[in-house]
Amino acid sequence: MLRKIFEIYSYREMIIELVRRDLRGRYKGAVLGFLWTFINPLMQLLVYTAVFSLFLRSDIQQYYIFLFVALVPWIFFSSSLTGGSTVILSQSNLVKKIYFPREVLPITFVTSCFINMLLTYIVIFGVLIVSGYGFSLKAMLFLPLVWIVEYLLALGMTIPFSAVTVYFQDTSHILGIVCMAWQFLTPIMYPASLVPDRLQFLYRMNPMYSIIEMNRDILYYKQIPTVSHLVPSLLVGVFFLIFGELIFVKLQKNFAMEL
Amino acid sequence: MSQYAIEVDNITKSFKINYDRGKHLKDLFVRHEKSRTEVHQVLKGISFNVPVGQSLGLVGVNGCGKSTTLKMLTRILEPDSGSIKINGRVSSLLELGAGFHPDMSGRENIYINASIFGLKRAEIDKRLQDIIDFSELGEFIDNPVRTYSSGMYMRLAFSVAINVDADILLMDEVLAVGDLNFQRKCLRKLNNIKKGGATIVLVSHDTATIADFCDRAIWIKDGLAEKDGPAEEVAQAYMDYMDSLNPEEEEEKTYAKLFQDQKVPDAPEEIDPSRYNPPKTMDPSQNHFGLGDVLITGVRLMRTPASEKGNPDYVPTESLRFAPGDGMRVEYDYVRVNRKNTEYAFGVGFNAMDSSVIMGHNTKEEGTTIADIGDKGTISFTIHSLPLAKGEYMLNVSVIDDVYTPVDFYRCYLTFLVEDPTDHGIGTTWVNREWRLNGELIGPEE
Repeated sequence: MLRKIFEIYSYREMIIELVRRDLRGRYKGAVLGFLWTFINPLMQLLVYTAVFSLFLRSDIQQYYIFLFVALVPWIFFSSSLTGGSTVILSQSNLVKKIYFPREVLPITFVTSCFINMLLTYIVIFGVLIVSGYGFSLKAMLFLPLVWIVEYLLALGMTIPFSAVTVYFQDTSHILGIVCMAWQFLTPIMYPASLVPDRLQFLYRMNPMYSIIEMNRDILYYKQIPTVSHLVPSLLVGVFFLIFGELIFVKLQKNFAMEL
Repeated sequence: MSQYAIEVDNITKSFKINYDRGKHLKDLFVRHEKSRTEVHQVLKGISFNVPVGQSLGLVGVNGCGKSTTLKMLTRILEPDSGSIKINGRVSSLLELGAGFHPDMSGRENIYINASIFGLKRAEIDKRLQDIIDFSELGEFIDNPVRTYSSGMYMRLAFSVAINVDADILLMDEVLAVGDLNFQRKCLRKLNNIKKGGATIVLVSHDTATIADFCDRAIWIKDGLAEKDGPAEEVAQAYMDYMDSLNPEEEEEKTYAKLFQDQKVPDAPEEIDPSRYNPPKTMDPSQNHFGLGDVLITGVRLMRTPASEKGNPDYVPTESLRFAPGDGMRVEYDYVRVNRKNTEYAFGVGFNAMDSSVIMGHNTKEEGTTIADIGDKGTISFTIHSLPLAKGEYMLNVSVIDDVYTPVDFYRCYLTFLVEDPTDHGIGTTWVNREWRLNGELIGPEE
């Protein structure tokens, strides 16, 4: 395991270059180019604001901010998982012809989604300032901690599924449905307090629960979060990383033959 | 460090060929009663050690397991049993241009591609200039790769791959990139790498390259090492074996192989026209193949300069030097050795020096049936106005039978030269051209 980590580390340049290719290549042909990274979430936010302030009026104050600070980390997680599950399949040319630690591919994908999310946070910060909603600097210091845990969780789940999809392509479609259901089981569009008390225990088993809640604590409620709430998510993330890597190592032996 | 760069001990590998399995989840649960699974054992136990600095060639027919062996050396595949030990940094040239993004510049793609080979940024920085120089792309290096011609693309890809300094270099038929000059440049570079002490494993159909380049070769047959020894011996043994295959059954294979194994004559960097002057006496060299019932005994290229075309008194002269627009007559003599009750047809073709086909015609395809060619005779093929651009070309001549089996087939009987001092373009086709800017003639200069 340690040797594997060391080997992946020695391929960090490949990860960096592929992430760069992904981020820069995505909007290369477009006139507005890299600006799209910011325009996209901004427009999304505008639509939500319009919809929820004109048609679907909510009791929650500043609902669009309530929603958006939860949606951005969720989109990172779900797109990592659904998109990342096909990453080895779609790069089969590389996998069949060149040796490199195969983990590089899911790592690259999740990292690229992660950086995209961080860039979207710039939009969030901008909106918080411009709208006069404001923020608590002290609370925001905890944000990187939440990000790291979420990154580990997303990576831990993407790595094994990217390997499983090589053998069973249905996995990616199943994951799409799972993620949709998962989104409604996570307090993204509604506050967690809506869930009946007797279900709260089960409800909080969801590793994304605390991540989303803490994002909201920090940015929406401007409170310093209870860091200990992150521990279960962290443990789940680390568990998936180790367990997922073990699955990955076992499955990758036949990648070149399956693809 | 061990004296061996590569130690392969009794490796086996089999593939499961599953004829009608879909890659879907339901296959987990649904057992196909009728599904046919075949286990094909590609490697049945091969062992060899490669000392540091040796270059080893692997030869064998398609599907014999040589590429599988190479893939296991690169760690893309794992052996079912046996072990492989590699001492040193490996670079594999199995895939050129991996990870290239069409919208990014050549320079950016060098970084992506080299990083996939496992290079660190500082290492790439250090090699960047070498890579760009080697690719001969010059200022194009900052243009998006999608604007490149396929030749430029391959040159860039190969330049990256070959400049990844490695202790052990693994290659699979990648030498056949680019034009002949670039191929030779690559071969020179590979020779330098070899001299620098690198260990090289090369998989190729081309026994000539193996014999030239490698110290040692292993001929893999049906998953086992059939012969292991000095490259030339093994290449010869392999070729003899290929020749001995039943011509009826293996006709196509042999035909294809002979095409591949023809050595392309070395072209000088700068063409020396005097080489084509005066026309040499033709020596029916070894590079022909076929059933041999009819043999080509002499080939001549006759030239009528463009200026003499209208002159009925002009007698064409034998030449290997032509200009675009000249008249060319390809003449060849034949003798019939064995009388057989078949039709024959005659063919003439040109190839460029990189072996790409420029044109080819035969009498059968033209709709002509020659009932009896006699015991000997001369066939001629006239091109009224030679449409070739400047450069060297290879002439192929052939006699084939009614089902296209080669009876006597020369690939590159001779090479000839087309000269045109006014032509500075590229390509093999000569065109009568003019440039106009807003209607005003601006070129080419007379």
